[in-house]
Amino acid sequence: MTSPILEVKGLHKSYDDGRIQALRGVDLSIDAGEFVAISGHSGSGKSTLLHMLGGLDTPSSGSVFFKGSPLGSAIDLDTYRCLHVGFIFQAFYLLPTLCAIENVQAPMLALRNGSANREPRAAALLREMGLEHRMHQPPNTLSAGERQRVAIARALANNPSILLADEPTGNLDSENSARIMEILTGIQKTHGMTLVVITHEDEIANSAPRHIRIRDGRIVQ
Amino acid sequence: MASQLSFAGFAWKNLWRRRLRTVMTLCGVGMAIGAFVGLVGFSRAFEQEWLRIYSSSGTDIAVIEGTFLSTSLDESAGEKLKALSTVAQATPVIYNMMDLTPEVNALAYGWKADSYEFESLKILSGQRFHDGQPRVMLGDLLADNLKKKPGDSLEIQGSPFTVCAIYHGSSALEADAVILPLDQFQKLSSLQGKVSTIHVRLRPAPAGESPESYLKRAQAQIETALPGLRAVPAAERASNNQLVRMAHASAWGTSSIALLIGILGIANTMAMSVFERTREIGILRALGWRRWQVLVLIQLEAAVLGLGGGVLGIAAGWGALHLLATLPQTASIVSASLPLPLLAEALGIAVLAGLTAGAYPAWRGAQLSPVEALRHD
Repeated sequence: MTSPILEVKGLHKSYDDGRIQALRGVDLSIDAGEFVAISGHSGSGKSTLLHMLGGLDTPSSGSVFFKGSPLGSAIDLDTYRCLHVGFIFQAFYLLPTLCAIENVQAPMLALRNGSANREPRAAALLREMGLEHRMHQPPNTLSAGERQRVAIARALANNPSILLADEPTGNLDSENSARIMEILTGIQKTHGMTLVVITHEDEIANSAPRHIRIRDGRIVQ
Repeated sequence: MASQLSFAGFAWKNLWRRRLRTVMTLCGVGMAIGAFVGLVGFSRAFEQEWLRIYSSSGTDIAVIEGTFLSTSLDESAGEKLKALSTVAQATPVIYNMMDLTPEVNALAYGWKADSYEFESLKILSGQRFHDGQPRVMLGDLLADNLKKKPGDSLEIQGSPFTVCAIYHGSSALEADAVILPLDQFQKLSSLQGKVSTIHVRLRPAPAGESPESYLKRAQAQIETALPGLRAVPAAERASNNQLVRMAHASAWGTSSIALLIGILGIANTMAMSVFERTREIGILRALGWRRWQVLVLIQLEAAVLGLGGGVLGIAAGWGALHLLATLPQTASIVSASLPLPLLAEALGIAVLAGLTAGAYPAWRGAQLSPVEALRHD
């Protein structure tokens, strides 16, 4: 029996002095190595939930637990994001002043050791993404698919146990979407990572072994 | 191609992304540091020239009453000083700034004809004056400026004088100066019997007594024998007289204003940069960067701006000093050399200015919530 790597208990998130309720009492448990898709309409609260799972934001009430320890108290959020989570965003969010291989090294700069291994590791990750010929290109010279592959390599840089992808195919054509999902599921399987994908595409959501729907800040399925 | 990412490399790439703004900021800081190097370098060279006057003439102590610029000391104190056991020689001196022509303003000394101060001068042409004569000796630089030679006449404050000699002094402050007989200076200034200071040469320290202890003993002896007067060691006199203090104060005052403008320039650049890069800061925070690491990155960028501006400023200051050292009006008191401590100070101030200017924008950047920063357009 696998133990939950992430647990969410009674999660509420409100904005604008409580006038906007983004999450209304979410309970969720995700096992280590699991591939979970979360879908819902715009404004349903799916991205907010992802931000909470990734330690990017703090809940108004309720808690998120990583391997049984509450985030923000037992585990510092910076440390959690640095060591345990890799993010992939719809808009890629590559750093424009850095070339591909430097973008992949950016999370490694947050670690205070292993500076000698940064470049070889980044190069290996980019090769894994089929980008060995694009390593020294700045983001604005890469195609959308290539940018997302650089972003995936960057998310893997510190060897996290959880990958959180927020609409990773939202800016891609169908060919590139398929390739990105193939890469993500491949990583999830080969590395045994926990993969949580936010999507509004049914095809992607239904391809996940577990599909969670969220509506008006509540899990409905 | 090596692409090892470092904090410094990242900071540089961020700065280089806005080349024009970075270059303009560097120029602003460079001008501020250039002003500092030029003005403080000038004032320190001025102090060194004063020190050279005392050291070349062998003056150990200057006896004064009140301040450096006041000419209120009785000349007769010189005779009392000569009677003291530690004093070898004592010579009264007046100095002041004088308008020699509408364009030329020079330092003027009043010396007695038998002053030991003449020993440090090299007479290039003509002969020294005697007391009671309306004669003047001109430093070589001043003689060049005035186009005067021995035998020419020179009107000082409405009184006619004859140039009796051209000399070369060890200090640039002497090279651009005029020396009058003390009595003539007193007459010209209606200060009969009064002097600015009495320069004292001490007898050699007795065996077994350190020079420092001997100097202190001589000071005490002079101040006891002549109550109301101060005996100031020559080195202290050189660095702590009103003229030098005024030069230092105006140099620091002016360069502080320039530095403040430079700091505001960096602060503006960094504040704009942090605002424009809000989302990027959010990305870094999402990637696991801690607040202090974001702060270090932004402060590093500010420090690079300060350091780069400092290097530019040193080059500009050095160029300005070189230019001043070649101009006849300023060559006498400007040295083109830049002492290492001044360079280190300038670079230190430049980096500190960068860090000061970057502190608030860096703090603001570090305080950004990752999720809010990511939502920023």
